[in-house]
Amino acid sequence: MTLLTLPSTRQEAFRWTDVDGIAAAASLPRADAGPADAFWLDLPGDRLLFVDGELHASSRLGRAELAEVAASDHPLGSRASGRGWRLALSADAVADPVQVVHLSTGGDNHLAAEILLADDAVGTVVETYAGRGWANRFARLTLGKAARLQRAVRLLQDEGFASTRDEAELGTGASLVQIALGAGGAGSRIDAQVVAGEGAFAEFGGALLTRGTQKQECAVAVRHAEPNGQSRQYWRAVAADQSAASLAARVEVARHAQKTDGEQSLRGILLKRTATVNLKPELEIFADDVKCAHGATVGELDERALFYMQSRGVPRARAQAILTRAFVADAIERIGNEVVADAFMADADAWLERAL
Amino acid sequence: MLQIDNLHAEIDGKPILKGLTLSVSAGEVHAIMGPNGAGKSTLGYVLGGRPGYEVTDGSVTFDGRDLLGMEPHERAAAGLFLGFQYPVEIPGVSNVQFLRESLNAQRASRDEKPLSGGEFLKLARAEAAKLDINAEMLKRPVNVGFSGGEKKRNEMVQMGIIDPKLAILDETDSGLDIDALRIVGEGINRVMRRPDKAVVLITHYERLLEYVAPDFVHVLVDGRVVRSGDIELARELEREGYGAVSA
Ligand SMILES: Nc1ncnc2c1ncn2[C@@H]1O[C@H](COP(=O)(O)OP(=O)(O)OP(=O)(O)O)[C@@H](O)[C@H]1O
Ligand SMILES: [Mg+2]
Repeated sequence: MTLLTLPSTRQEAFRWTDVDGIAAAASLPRADAGPADAFWLDLPGDRLLFVDGELHASSRLGRAELAEVAASDHPLGSRASGRGWRLALSADAVADPVQVVHLSTGGDNHLAAEILLADDAVGTVVETYAGRGWANRFARLTLGKAARLQRAVRLLQDEGFASTRDEAELGTGASLVQIALGAGGAGSRIDAQVVAGEGAFAEFGGALLTRGTQKQECAVAVRHAEPNGQSRQYWRAVAADQSAASLAARVEVARHAQKTDGEQSLRGILLKRTATVNLKPELEIFADDVKCAHGATVGELDERALFYMQSRGVPRARAQAILTRAFVADAIERIGNEVVADAFMADADAWLERAL
Repeated sequence: MLQIDNLHAEIDGKPILKGLTLSVSAGEVHAIMGPNGAGKSTLGYVLGGRPGYEVTDGSVTFDGRDLLGMEPHERAAAGLFLGFQYPVEIPGVSNVQFLRESLNAQRASRDEKPLSGGEFLKLARAEAAKLDINAEMLKRPVNVGFSGGEKKRNEMVQMGIIDPKLAILDETDSGLDIDALRIVGEGINRVMRRPDKAVVLITHYERLLEYVAPDFVHVLVDGRVVRSGDIELARELEREGYGAVSA
């Protein structure tokens, strides 16, 4: 493996990034990661299995294909630019969900993706990260006029690190709803830049659940370049043990992007006092007629609610699980596809079972 | 059933209960009245086992068992129900889920098998209907957006479903309109007026006691029971106030 040059935590955009964790993940020796079968959801459509970034023969490609993806200049994303997969939908096309499983067995692997939806096309993509090692991904998303993309990403790697960098451009009236769940044992960084066009809707959020000494973070910026756009960034973090979850979300409103309606809600729960949740909500607004609401809170579970449940017979650990689940569901239930939302909640439940 | 002896309890090092003694037998209804800040809710919380309420002296037994040595959920499973003066809102958790979790947790600790979703819903709907709470409200998050009176009636729905042995009801009558007061009063009688059950009613108003006739009325002042009597004592309090009665 070549020597890694990684971003430094001295760079503001990477201040909470577990750079040592990335290096350690990349040097994990290869080991059998087991079968990918359990990660497929009961949905029609393509199934792409990448083992250490290589397309596996068992994959089922219909709409999706292998392709070259134009490079990114992002410090992590640039490593993954080039070789990858593409989903290109022509105007008005409505595609079955495309499932992608990224299975890593150790070391580092890098892969790019491109999702191109022409005007009025509708696509759904569900991605799962599993195994061990460093999985690094770059995706370029381009949505035409009134195109709609729903994308759900779950990070379930047992160990190592998953880093994703998305660069999205939404055309007039287009809609992107992307929800992530970090519920594995690996570190992560979810990094994205979304540029919303006139009247576009951008929802980018999710839940990061951390335990042990794990570190997960999101660093997402939504830029409203044109008027009448809407964005929603709902992030939830649950941190147990000595872990750290960091949520950095940014809304930028360009000078002429009037009537922008942006909502940002970053909330964290500490299951132990030794855990850390970092929040960094940012608003950068240059237009004067906009509505941007934001809230950021970190706390422990509501003691009054815990006692209320206990007084009705629910053991404390179970009461904690119920409250934490409700907190996480707030973000995950925004996934439109019920099969996907249920599967993600089941992953969150499995995590809670372990952490509490 | 419930035997409280010389109970002392404090919050953040501040003594609130200062030697409270009370004995409740099966089949009885006891009313506790007393001025604001006397320690009535504190008594309920101490009996329920709320964290932060520290017992510094005295003892409490429930059916002969040391209540204070039990976890809050064990107290519930043993048959204790605490009706809250300020029922707690739990966003994201529906009444149905909350109640089902509660009931099945209690059943599990008594080695009874859990109720299925269908069985539970039937029970919940029936109990809710008796208190004028519709099925739609059962689907909503626990107490979120409920009016003051709705929250209190919701406490009674919970009591009806859980079917406890001993209910400590903290100002369940406050904030109820005239009809709701009657409905709640009847609910208490229906669920709890049984030879093997008992009720401790904490209240400020003699009115509820007209529906749920208490066998005993106690006056709690500054962390102690200063007087006990029957319904006449409640009427006297209503007329003359605490100053005269507890002097
Ligand atoms: N967390 C707390 N920290 C400090 N003091 C407290 C706390 N909770 C309650 N107290 C005090 O304990 C005393 C008793 O309170 P409690 O709620 O038991 O009164 P109460 O008799 O129920 O009154 P009310 O009729 O107004 O409901 C009050 O003086 C109150 O201020
Ligand atoms: Mg009180």
